[in-house]
Amino acid sequence: MDMVGNVLPQVFNENASEDKGELARMQSFVGAIAVADLVKTTLGPKGMDKILQSVGDPTAKKSITVTNDGATILRSIHVDNPAAKILIDISKCQDEEVGDGTTTVAVLAGELLREAEKLVNQKIHPQIIILGWRQARDVALKTLREAAMDHSEDLEQFRIDLKNIAMTTLSSKLLLEDREHFSDLAVSAVLRLKGSGNLDYIKLIKKPGGTLKDSFLADGFILEKSISTGCPRRKEKPRILIANTPMDHDKIKIFGSKVRVDSMLKVAEIEEAEKMKMKKKVDQILALKPDVFINRQLIYNYPEQLLAEKGIMVIEHADFDGTERLAAVLGADILSTFSESNFSEGHQPRLGYCETIEEIMIGEDKVIKFSGTKAGEACSIVLRGSGSHILDEAERSLHDAICVLVSAVKSHRVVYGGGNSEIRMSLAVEELAKTVKGKQALAIQSYAHALKQLPTIIADNAGYDSAEIVQNLRSEIYSGNLQAGLNMFQGQVDDMKTLGVTECLRVKEQALLSASEAAELILRVDEIIRCAPRRREGQ
Amino acid sequence: MEGGAKALAFQQRDIGGKMDSEKTKDIRSTNIIAARAVSDVVRTSLGPRGMDKMIQDSKGHVLITNDGATILKQMEVIHPTARMLVEISKAQDIEAGDGTTSVVVIAGALLRACQDLIEKGIHPSSISEGFAVALNKAVEIIESMGQPVDLNNRQQLIENAITSLSSKVVSQHSDLLAPMAVDAVLRIIDKENDTNVDLRDINVSKKLGGTVDDSELIDGLVFVDKKVSHFAGGPSKITNAKIGLIQFCLSAPKTDMENNVVVHDYTAMDRILKEERKYILDLVKKVCQTGCNVILIQKSILRDAVNELALHFLAKKNVMVIKDIDRDQIDFISKTLLATPVAHIDHFTADKLGTAGLVEEVNAGGERKIVKITGCPNQGKTVSILLRGSNQLVLDEAERSLHDALCVVRALVKKRSLVPGGAAVEMEVAQKLQAHSREIYGSDSYCVRLYGEALELIPYTLAENAGMDPINFVTELRNRHIAGERYAGLNVKKNTILNMLEENVVQPSLVSISALTLATECVRMILKIDDIVLSR
Repeated sequence: MDMVGNVLPQVFNENASEDKGELARMQSFVGAIAVADLVKTTLGPKGMDKILQSVGDPTAKKSITVTNDGATILRSIHVDNPAAKILIDISKCQDEEVGDGTTTVAVLAGELLREAEKLVNQKIHPQIIILGWRQARDVALKTLREAAMDHSEDLEQFRIDLKNIAMTTLSSKLLLEDREHFSDLAVSAVLRLKGSGNLDYIKLIKKPGGTLKDSFLADGFILEKSISTGCPRRKEKPRILIANTPMDHDKIKIFGSKVRVDSMLKVAEIEEAEKMKMKKKVDQILALKPDVFINRQLIYNYPEQLLAEKGIMVIEHADFDGTERLAAVLGADILSTFSESNFSEGHQPRLGYCETIEEIMIGEDKVIKFSGTKAGEACSIVLRGSGSHILDEAERSLHDAICVLVSAVKSHRVVYGGGNSEIRMSLAVEELAKTVKGKQALAIQSYAHALKQLPTIIADNAGYDSAEIVQNLRSEIYSGNLQAGLNMFQGQVDDMKTLGVTECLRVKEQALLSASEAAELILRVDEIIRCAPRRREGQ
Repeated sequence: MEGGAKALAFQQRDIGGKMDSEKTKDIRSTNIIAARAVSDVVRTSLGPRGMDKMIQDSKGHVLITNDGATILKQMEVIHPTARMLVEISKAQDIEAGDGTTSVVVIAGALLRACQDLIEKGIHPSSISEGFAVALNKAVEIIESMGQPVDLNNRQQLIENAITSLSSKVVSQHSDLLAPMAVDAVLRIIDKENDTNVDLRDINVSKKLGGTVDDSELIDGLVFVDKKVSHFAGGPSKITNAKIGLIQFCLSAPKTDMENNVVVHDYTAMDRILKEERKYILDLVKKVCQTGCNVILIQKSILRDAVNELALHFLAKKNVMVIKDIDRDQIDFISKTLLATPVAHIDHFTADKLGTAGLVEEVNAGGERKIVKITGCPNQGKTVSILLRGSNQLVLDEAERSLHDALCVVRALVKKRSLVPGGAAVEMEVAQKLQAHSREIYGSDSYCVRLYGEALELIPYTLAENAGMDPINFVTELRNRHIAGERYAGLNVKKNTILNMLEENVVQPSLVSISALTLATECVRMILKIDDIVLSR
């Protein structure tokens, strides 16, 4: 029944709900802003961390994550609010697209919606707001691109730029203290890729023990497996055969297959025949003349011994991910059959190659190191740290940094960080607002305000007087000092060029575009319909 | 859920963009309280006079220990920050092998200091930075106190291991376990070049019975739960042994496919039995042809590794059989005996055999028997230690203590430097940091001072656990350090303050440095947390 008592026809299922107009809009605002507020405190070099504690089955081993990576936090929280889900999606998208700025994008969208709410309360129609935002966004984007610098011609300078980008990305993470060290690691790793951007070649290995400073970049590829008994522990310039084939027994895969015999000797004969079959397979492998045999599946003692006798280094149980990467890095095919007849004319299987294979010790464990690989791009970063929390977070941070560097290598262009670009955009948008007629000018102003919120939040998180220093920064930039930005270690306005705070243009662009898009999307909503939940058995 | 989120969002917006500071403050203080609770639990077990804890696990097993890492591992704590403390204790165990209790106690003390600092209104990020400054300074101080160590000086190493063992249940046996640990490590490393020790080259076995005094270091192998088989009178002692390590089975043949032997009549049955007998006899003959007189058989999950019939034949041929060897052990065995594992009878040739001076089965009290293989050719690469104890609890504790001692020696191989024990380091660092805090300014100064003060908890606890008057002791110790006695510390056995270097109470620098580093890293991480988010 509606307010006046008319009976309305039931359109939806009993349990479905429907929110209209103001109510729907309020729901979206509340949800999106709540999500943005949740991750807001992790922004910036002095942002705080969150503990993610999994609820659910109490008997299951509860895992804890300590992180300040926006995407990780948002990915793991429960939300029921549709608008909040959109924010989570854009953050994920940002993570996949450029790897960093995941928090920024959610916070910016949240701030835009906060502004939109005020405007809606002033009876400005959402479509008008959107119109204004679009103009504002275009101007902001133009300013951002104008502010960008390209140093790709000058290799020396470009390397410094890359390092600065890595430092800036890492400074908002756990690795803050050792960012010097880690940005070196990340830059060397990325430069080895020579622009190919194939992250498969960079392997991150986590080993507890030691401190973060003990982390290092190893040339070549590291496989966390052990060499089988009785094999040589070191090989120079070997031919490497990578396989994915059963080396336990070639069982006939027919259900319930059985042999019936009438004497023990025959059983022995069959056993022998089975062995011979395996031996034949080994002979076929030997025909390819490998020096190292790596199998994804387990290898039984018998074939292992046959191979070891020929002085071949045998590595079993290389995990799936491991074999794929290894094959890529060593430039080998993954084989599963070995008989000559299976190789067509002129298509001999490719065997991998590298300079040396040896066992090295990291922390408590022995690992196998392949150095001087065919694909010179390959390298492994070994992370050391005092516990799994730190290691996990270090891995995430370093991954972000590497992603950012890869996109920086692709697009070459960089902008100053420390709130510099946000304030410049915000100023440009404000200028625009002064020239535009009509109500959308209000929306444009609100856009400028939302942009200004980002440096404000960063300053807030560091415990500084945000209003004061952000205003100082604004006036500094307005008066023409285009390199000014926030120094979050001193709590004052400083020159970003001397501090080396630079960010990748693509990250900023992407964040700006997706945040505006998401905010628009949410703002357009005027009705939320929730379908009735599907009934489960026994309910 | 949604209502909650809504209310929360409104509440946050009422404050108007400012942080919801009440909530984060609450979360931070709960985190600190939880972590400190863990630290308080293990505090009483610090030091040579520390108390033990009895832990009953979920299965009802009882465990008595004062090893910090073990206590924490068994406690099954739930709170996330409390678990982080458990983690650093584990990390310390991996890194230095000792000081697992100290690291947690230090973290607890630092967290307490954090509480004070937060109450003063210092921003957590600033505290975190202040602690980093303090840590750098502290490591510098410890390194300046370090005494170089010579790995050829066995006596010095032993004294070191004794310090580590002095806080354990088996401390009365430290005279025995310490030299054992030192000798074991020294045997497997290259004294000049190695910077790490692979502890897997030291095989520690436990056997119930006897006392800890009966434990011994064996140049070779020892099997405690493997049965030497001498059904039908096989030999139990063989000198100049030729040892075969086999991975195939000495039993009736079995195919990978399912097989049935179809028997039609009685004679057929008889024939099959004969065939089986012949088959096994053939195998045994081939084994004996190589001159092998001791055989080690790998366990097989698919079928019996060795059957009664084979045992009988082997016994007749005077071959000693040791069965049920795990695949994991094969590597170690083959390294020790220089025997190549053999997976098929056709490959079983004389050159695959390993040698040993003596293989014998000895009585280990009552029914229990163990097998020792000594006089192995490859000495200098592997070593075995046999631990004995009168009950399981003592035995387990002895194993943990030995592991600690081994780690201490390893820590010395990693970083060849020693610092005085008996809380001398902590007091010196505490004292120097407080002095340093007067030279700097800003919030760092506060943080460094409180960091220093927090470290005084270690000598305090040490004295408290030893039943002394902690306040008198700590103040006197501080006094001495200020007067320049850098190496003064608490000798718990004599209950007085003495020069630790003269008393030979020393520990590896790595233990102290890593404890401080890990504890500080962890505390800084806890400080940075402002929210606990429930997730999937």
